[in-house]
Amino acid sequence: MKTKSLAISGIIAALYVAVTLLIAPFGFTAIQFRISEMFNHLVVFNKKYMIGIVVGVIIANFFSPLGVYDLAFGVGQSVLALTITIISIRFIKGQLAKMIFNTIVFTVTMFLIAIELHLLYDLPFLYTWFTCAVGELAVMAVGIPVMMGLNKRINFNKLIED
Amino acid sequence: MMDKLIFGRFIPGDSFVHRLDPRAKLIFVFAFIFIVFIANNTATYAALLIFTILIILLSRIKLYFLINGLKPILILMAFTFFLHIFFTKEGDILYHWKFITIYEEGLRQGIFISVRFLVLVFVTTVLTLTTSPISITDGMEVLLNPLKKLKLPIHELALMMSISLRFIPTLMDETDKIMKAQTARGSDLTSGPIKERIKAVVPLLVPLFVSAFKRAEDLATAMEVRGYRGGEGRTRYRQLKWHVRDTIAVLSIVVMGAVLIYLRKYS
Repeated sequence: MKTKSLAISGIIAALYVAVTLLIAPFGFTAIQFRISEMFNHLVVFNKKYMIGIVVGVIIANFFSPLGVYDLAFGVGQSVLALTITIISIRFIKGQLAKMIFNTIVFTVTMFLIAIELHLLYDLPFLYTWFTCAVGELAVMAVGIPVMMGLNKRINFNKLIED
Repeated sequence: MMDKLIFGRFIPGDSFVHRLDPRAKLIFVFAFIFIVFIANNTATYAALLIFTILIILLSRIKLYFLINGLKPILILMAFTFFLHIFFTKEGDILYHWKFITIYEEGLRQGIFISVRFLVLVFVTTVLTLTTSPISITDGMEVLLNPLKKLKLPIHELALMMSISLRFIPTLMDETDKIMKAQTARGSDLTSGPIKERIKAVVPLLVPLFVSAFKRAEDLATAMEVRGYRGGEGRTRYRQLKWHVRDTIAVLSIVVMGAVLIYLRKYS
């Protein structure tokens, strides 16, 4: 791994954590609006961003009230969803379509978080999945225009590539 | 918000728990999370509770400080407790008043789930309170070392974690600064419907991203100038040392697991 992509991944992780902790009306538990989840769209521009996002999720979940549980399930969800996206978007044309696909993948995989909350608090599984998924869907959907706009200012693909 | 919560904060100290090797603490906490699920009756949950209190005493973290810092979670816990009491309809009726009926099974379940939750949160919080993030990363790197055989970039991952831990406060300051700057220009981040609030985040992210990427570039240049070449042959400033007390800590969790299995079967 090149030094530069290492540094960028580290900073992306830090950014994820900072945004989770600061701009978070509710970043943890059943009803989630994690603004930082829109960073997940970065993998659409370049798959190398995945590792930075995952490290960010790891550290952010250290701060979570559920500690190591969130670590296992939260990281599991991110890794699963990002892998699905990275493998599948090769077959999808157009940035917008890729991002919509990514949003759907993340929304659906929230079932992992719902399982976690179900195991821990005994919250009803389907209801929890629904509330988690709605939050994720909202943030990721809003994230599409935001990240596209950002990409015009700073070329994400070029930044990590050279 | 951050001043009120204590997760992920590190409080330097010199207690038994503070002096433990981060590797021992990580093994301990991960094992603890598994053995908590062995508990299924009053004796086992009581044993867990006593064990947790012992850990807190050994860490010399004041109990009221923990409770104060974990208030939001305790509220959540109370909520699930009442959910169980009112919605479980099994066992004998303990109390009945108009439309409120409390069943024995509901009370039992409520107490058990609350205790499970309490010990989990307290033990993991004690870990983060007594171990600096840097030594947690060091410990994780060593513990994950065997995965290198699977060609996983463990050293790079650990370095990335150190980098981001180093930059979290910096970027949080920056986020805060940008938030204040945008508020001064009339953007409203803290009130209004969620849709408006999410919209207000956009002018926040643009400068944040630009400055973060600039920092990353500077950092990469600085690393290259100082001859960073990856993990091979790199020496360490902080060396981890395994003491007798670390073995004791790991053994104690094994013993605890055995005690729980015994109590689960024979009480």
